[in-house]
Amino acid sequence: MANMEKLNATLNAVKSLRSSVRQCFEQLADGTAAEQTEDNRTKFLVEFQENYSHINQQLREVETLINGLQPSLVSSYLGNTTYLAQEITQDRQAMYSQLVNSYKWIDKVHEHSLLAFNNLNLNNLRRSYTYCSQKRGRVQYTSCNNPDPEFIDNLFYNDISHTNTIYEVCRQFSSNAVVFATISHVLKAAIICKGVLIEWVTVKGYDEPMEIDDLWTESRYEVFRKVQEHTHSAMLHFFSPTQPELAVKSFMTWLNSYSKLFLEPCKRCGKYVSNGLPPTWRDLRTLEPFHEECKNC
Amino acid sequence: MGVTVLQPYQIPEGKTGAQAIDFLTKRLLALGAVHTGQFLVDCETYISAPQHGPSKAVHVLHDSEYPVTTFSILDTGTGKQIPLVADNLFDLLMLKMTSVYTSKKQTKIESKGARFEYGDFLIKLGSVTMMENFKGILIEIEYRPCVVLFYCWEMIREVLQSFLGVTVAKEYPGYFTSQPVVNAMGQQQLHAKQHDIYEPIDTINQYLEHFTNYRKQNIMPQVSSQSSNMSMNTGMRVS
Ligand SMILES: [Zn+2]
Repeated sequence: MANMEKLNATLNAVKSLRSSVRQCFEQLADGTAAEQTEDNRTKFLVEFQENYSHINQQLREVETLINGLQPSLVSSYLGNTTYLAQEITQDRQAMYSQLVNSYKWIDKVHEHSLLAFNNLNLNNLRRSYTYCSQKRGRVQYTSCNNPDPEFIDNLFYNDISHTNTIYEVCRQFSSNAVVFATISHVLKAAIICKGVLIEWVTVKGYDEPMEIDDLWTESRYEVFRKVQEHTHSAMLHFFSPTQPELAVKSFMTWLNSYSKLFLEPCKRCGKYVSNGLPPTWRDLRTLEPFHEECKNC
Repeated sequence: MGVTVLQPYQIPEGKTGAQAIDFLTKRLLALGAVHTGQFLVDCETYISAPQHGPSKAVHVLHDSEYPVTTFSILDTGTGKQIPLVADNLFDLLMLKMTSVYTSKKQTKIESKGARFEYGDFLIKLGSVTMMENFKGILIEIEYRPCVVLFYCWEMIREVLQSFLGVTVAKEYPGYFTSQPVVNAMGQQQLHAKQHDIYEPIDTINQYLEHFTNYRKQNIMPQVSSQSSNMSMNTGMRVS
């Protein structure tokens, strides 16, 4: 145990030595202040000397600590790998090379998935805005086509909630879910998922039937056929195979802005009706309403 | 089936009903509406015979939008109206009841004319006639995808204004603002209907309301004092 503490202290000493050296180099790289006065020069020199002697002192400390260390008498416990050395059966002694192979294999899988991730992020389907992630954080690997049956359920029953909207998750077709959303007294939508990706959206009026056996008939109203067209382009816009949860959430927030489909005038022309239709398009970022013909001008 | 609003149209001074209809038709077609046939809404009122107690009335209405349905509203004479939606056989039943309910033939009233579609809007230009006498123009506008007036009133108002060429009041039409309803305790309360889910019987109720107004009018509605700054009147409330 005492040995362990000593080891810890030594490691800490090495750490602080490294940081001092780094600091010293940084100072050297920064050089003197802008004006090349004698004052600045001496100040720089003094600082460097201070740092240098500090490093020397730390180095000595490390050396003494290392000398104080003793090789441990008890072999440390290395988990199940210890048993490898005790293996006596002939056919199992090849284990080591197999382990090395599988290690190499995992390494390759990792590399491939990284390439795949980059490829998937170059999303050709996203056409409205070019999206560029500034964050280079840890990559989350979520499998999109191996659906976790609870993922969608959790998402719609716990995470996603909008006032005035009722969600119902249906699982008629194997493990793929169909989510029925009734938004206010305005519209009904069937969101058909494949795994955790949205595959198709059907939009109908509040008074139209929407059933699991009949997901593909179009609405009898022009306005909802238009809205359905727009949901498809939004679905492609929000599509993100590496962050399916975020994609579904963003899409649902966007879709919910249709609760005011008939209530809001167009942001561009200020009118409610144009060509017999209300503003059927909602901006993907601001959620502002626009007539189809007003959104691009 | 969506929210429907009825709007009586005041015929401009110096114009006949036919000329006004012609004018409105042209405005609608210019807007991009498509002519899609004719429509008819009629109403006949039956009065109970005196030996069966206090006088009651049954209003029987037909709407070409619901061709196999007969709507009837029983007016108990105490301010209570009971609607009944039945199939066409109900007409034959009324004929069997002549000993109890007799038709007031002279008040048979109807609204008929052309039907237009504009996007999901359904617009009907109705000429109201009672006993072959022209009583006025009643415009029906329906926004089919929407089931709550509160959501789509501004849309309906904008479309009405765009072909009528007059300002339509911002307030909800009279029928929607405050209806007396009997609550669970048996008391009468005022209930605003603009947030309710719209049903076909609401259209029938509105027609009955307007037909009752037209029946009360003895003079022809052609004469109007305002001509330029004319704003539409949604009609008197009937209690
Ligand atoms: Zn617009």
